[in-house]
Amino acid sequence: MKKILSVVVMVALMLVSVLTFSRQAQAEELKMVGTISKIELSADKKSATAILKDSKSGEEVTILVSDELTLDKFMDKRIVEGDEIRCKFEKMDGKNSSKMFKKTAGC
Amino acid sequence: MSGKITVIMLGCALLAATVQAKEHPGKEQILKEGYQGPKTCETCHPGKAREFLGTVHWKHASKVDHVDNIDPNEEYGMKNRIYTMCNGSDIVNNLKEVPPNALGKTKFTGCNTCHPGDHSSDVGSTGPQAEQAIDCLICHSFKYDFSKRKAVKSEDGKVVMTQDRSTEAAANIGRPTIKNCMACHEAAGGGAMIKRGFSMAQKDEVHVTKGIICVDCHQVKNHRFPTGRDPNNWANDGIYMTCVGECHSVTPHKDADYNRHIAKIACQTCHIPKTGGAFSKDFTKWEKQSNGFYEPSTLKREVNETAPVYAWYNLTVSNTPHFIGPKGSRTDGKSKIYPFKIFQGKAYFNKKDGKLLSMDFASPIATGDTLAGVASAARILGIKEYEPVPGWQTIYFGSNHQVAPKNKALSCANCHALNGVLNFKELGYSPKEVEKLTNPELYFEKLLKLQQENE
Repeated sequence: MKKILSVVVMVALMLVSVLTFSRQAQAEELKMVGTISKIELSADKKSATAILKDSKSGEEVTILVSDELTLDKFMDKRIVEGDEIRCKFEKMDGKNSSKMFKKTAGC
Repeated sequence: MSGKITVIMLGCALLAATVQAKEHPGKEQILKEGYQGPKTCETCHPGKAREFLGTVHWKHASKVDHVDNIDPNEEYGMKNRIYTMCNGSDIVNNLKEVPPNALGKTKFTGCNTCHPGDHSSDVGSTGPQAEQAIDCLICHSFKYDFSKRKAVKSEDGKVVMTQDRSTEAAANIGRPTIKNCMACHEAAGGGAMIKRGFSMAQKDEVHVTKGIICVDCHQVKNHRFPTGRDPNNWANDGIYMTCVGECHSVTPHKDADYNRHIAKIACQTCHIPKTGGAFSKDFTKWEKQSNGFYEPSTLKREVNETAPVYAWYNLTVSNTPHFIGPKGSRTDGKSKIYPFKIFQGKAYFNKKDGKLLSMDFASPIATGDTLAGVASAARILGIKEYEPVPGWQTIYFGSNHQVAPKNKALSCANCHALNGVLNFKELGYSPKEVEKLTNPELYFEKLLKLQQENE
């Protein structure tokens, strides 16, 4: 019985490892500079989607933002539609999750 | 952390929460009568607008008495200083619309974008018009709509900064929050976290984690802000601050060995082990961006990604065309070892007198033509004789923010192991002293005991 349990646990661990590795392998980090055409905050204000128009290709890319500082900047309009953004994001499971979301302009 | 400090921090957190929650007196009157700018504030705070015009936040300059090679009777600061993190100043890079780039796009830019006036009343302006141009709410409102603060052209073609003077913003006021401060202070030098490379997010700053905000340490008196002693931050309101005071005593550690270090080691050295942001820029070579504008080539890291450099500092500053940094030595009796964010910038120097030249960014932003920027700056500053040659300047920025939690502060072995962060030889110690300072005998028993306690 103990042997069977050990085998089951081993297999489960291997599956978890393989799945985790596969997910990491699927994640692709991309970067872009683009102008915000739309910002939409979720009802609980814990995430938002921002649509950026890639200044190179003209293509619209939807970015999922969940870091507190950027969400705060959306809420008090330090970042608004029309602002130009330098963004790094991770493409995984059909979603583009923001890893960096900063206005290009300084002073 | 001692019980006393914990109690003080808890007190600060509670006070901050109370202050935030408590409504500012006069809210009903503001809601009833609306907000008419500083004159509304002056109903209860007479004289404060004029007072503010005399501060560094408005003048972007002050007399400076701790820096080499400057005129003690002149005022220096963002208004007129030139160095290679910015290579411009409020005067040269006065807020303006840049010429169209190759894609026909233009934009507003200028060093004085963050000046809390309306640009018609600008850096250092005085008089009743300037008093009424102050954007009190950008620092004092919790509900400031930052989208309302932007550069636009007025009907007569002048570039002005608009402000949020809404009743809602005015009715929600108090002491400046971290957000109020960082709205300007995080974006200096070319973008978020570029210049000083520190973050005031809870995860990055232990004081913020405990509910302490900027103005709890920078305790403002009559709109004058105490500052630390960053070698590259010259303008000051005449008051300075240190860690030692109502929160931290001169013997802040339980461990007497740590307390002994205080005579020669600044608090920041152990408690701010990392820095970040831009570490090098080249103003002679601008890179074209995908939006058609150009930016100076910049090497940068995220916050907490860079190791500081350490040097003796007696709070006076060496200032030459190719170096701005701490003065001091092991033997002068005044210096302590401090951490610095080191930066190296390339820009044009005047071959005729060796001085660093300034650059007006309007042309380089639009076309990448850096020499056109130098020529424009020379015209603005009245420099007729110049021959631009590229060269490098090294700058030491003070590393005074982003204090790490206690368990991430430097401990004995971080400095005294052979691969420690302090280069004792460069700090002036003899080979024999270095041998003693890097002998495990100094710390072995103490660290072993700590290790056993934590296991």
